[in-house]
Amino acid sequence: MKTYTLEELLSVEVSRRVVDDEMNFTGIGTGGKAYIRACGIPLVGVRLAQTKHAPNALCMMGPVLDPVLDHETIPDSNWEYDLIHWPCRSQIPLEDCLGLFRLGLVGMAFASAAQVDKYGNLNITCIGEYENPKVRLPGVLAQTDLAALAKRVCIIVNHDKRILVERCDFVSGASGHEDRSGLPGGGAAYVMTNLCIMDFNPETKMMRVHSIHPGVTPEHIRQNTGFDLEIPPNVPFTPVPSDEDLRLIREEIDPKRNFLNAGITQDRATLED
Amino acid sequence: MQERRSKFKSLHDAVAAISDGAKVAVGGSLIRKCPMALVREIVRQRKRDLTLYAWSAGMDFDMLIGAGCVREAWSSYVGLFTAGMAKNFRRAVERKKIRFVDLSETCAMDKFRAGTFGLPYAISRVPLHSGILKNPEFKEVTCPFTGEKLVAMEAFAPDVSIIHAHRADTYGNVQFDAIRMMDNESDIFIARCGSHTIVSVEEIVPEEEIIRTPTQTMLPKVYVDSVCHVFHGAHPNSCDTRYDFDLAHAEYYQECASTEEGFARYLDEFVYGTKDEEEYIAKLGGQAEISRRLDHPRRKTA
Repeated sequence: MKTYTLEELLSVEVSRRVVDDEMNFTGIGTGGKAYIRACGIPLVGVRLAQTKHAPNALCMMGPVLDPVLDHETIPDSNWEYDLIHWPCRSQIPLEDCLGLFRLGLVGMAFASAAQVDKYGNLNITCIGEYENPKVRLPGVLAQTDLAALAKRVCIIVNHDKRILVERCDFVSGASGHEDRSGLPGGGAAYVMTNLCIMDFNPETKMMRVHSIHPGVTPEHIRQNTGFDLEIPPNVPFTPVPSDEDLRLIREEIDPKRNFLNAGITQDRATLED
Repeated sequence: MQERRSKFKSLHDAVAAISDGAKVAVGGSLIRKCPMALVREIVRQRKRDLTLYAWSAGMDFDMLIGAGCVREAWSSYVGLFTAGMAKNFRRAVERKKIRFVDLSETCAMDKFRAGTFGLPYAISRVPLHSGILKNPEFKEVTCPFTGEKLVAMEAFAPDVSIIHAHRADTYGNVQFDAIRMMDNESDIFIARCGSHTIVSVEEIVPEEEIIRTPTQTMLPKVYVDSVCHVFHGAHPNSCDTRYDFDLAHAEYYQECASTEEGFARYLDEFVYGTKDEEEYIAKLGGQAEISRRLDHPRRKTA
């Protein structure tokens, strides 16, 4: 019997990768599953890291800088009024938030996307040709910025052939490793899915499996990936969250599941259905 | 002594200054504080062939595009956030009715800022290797100091800028609530780079009140050509701590926008069918009803 949820497993995996003193970037997020991937898991991961090895790590959620992430202070909604009043250490002008990217002061930035290609590029702009799109999506948002300027990009998506593709139809965020000339940021560092954790092979510049979630087979991962994915022999299982991590998440950090089940958005969801 | 110039105008007269084919920069972001009353008036006056610029757009762009006012649009986003995709925008791009230029949040900000600084272009590394470079307006250049490859992006030079703000006097001194969503900072750049700037405000206050609180006058009258008084002028958008996004109305809008015919009916009902904002507000049940549904009882004023 599994004693943890996928959201908890991924939060712990995020927390291990949070570096002390660094700023982590998330957007404000919309609702449901998109919120869980773009904000919920990252925020719980950063908070968990703050309580453990990274007490000086901080978060920027759009214009809300370094919010207090104690469960008593987390608002019940992510509507404008509550965002404005979310206790935080700073609300600097938008111009300066974007300036932090330009100065290279963003460590890990979180992203989700409609397509992620084998090199780690992101697409949230269109499916099909740019000039003749089959499906037009909302834009590029800050994805081009974080892909170019953040030290590391952590991508969280559903593991699906249509999402993990050979090449993106449009590159909204050039976080890929095939050519980073002129870009100060480090690009895609991790890709986390419901099946596994991936990183990038420095030789091939392409995605490879780093660990497989308990109960998942390499075959299942291959069947759900849209390109020939490197799965090293003897790749380990993703460690199960410890009892102490689960206690911190469930009792101290997110007891109402506002983050991990998007309760804050009034569109509660889970990644596991 | 001559009388000082009042910049106080009706929405009708302010919007009449926008010509067909104009380049119009629009304030607000996502579903927050877009100047929706001004947008509706542009639709009522049936302006055509506009080019729109925004930092991050929402129902403002979607409505103008759905009403056939737009030839070209630039933004980092066009969507209705929690209320879903911008359906008119999506349809118009997929059917090639408009040209849309994607640019990232820093790139949009850089282009507005270059405009406010009176510079011909902004310079950035961000678009390198990205799809943004498919647009010919983004030009690769070599840095004269380091030799590195950079991207030049022409400054936004809108003919008209339209934004919504909290309060102003009739001379055009515009103030923003101290407690506000920081995304609003882009509005100040957007307003400053327009050749002609129209601001709608929630309240008109006497000049004495402005003099008492000058640090809130983020946009002094030198930048402003017209001030219009429109209480709930961002509706259905939210307006910082003053009122919420009208999700129920947005859901109705989205239902209508599912087809071109449905959206034409929405416009007939709420925009062409109302001769001005007074009639629009009356159609929604009146100001008191909107306040009852959307205002924040806990609101702390600036």
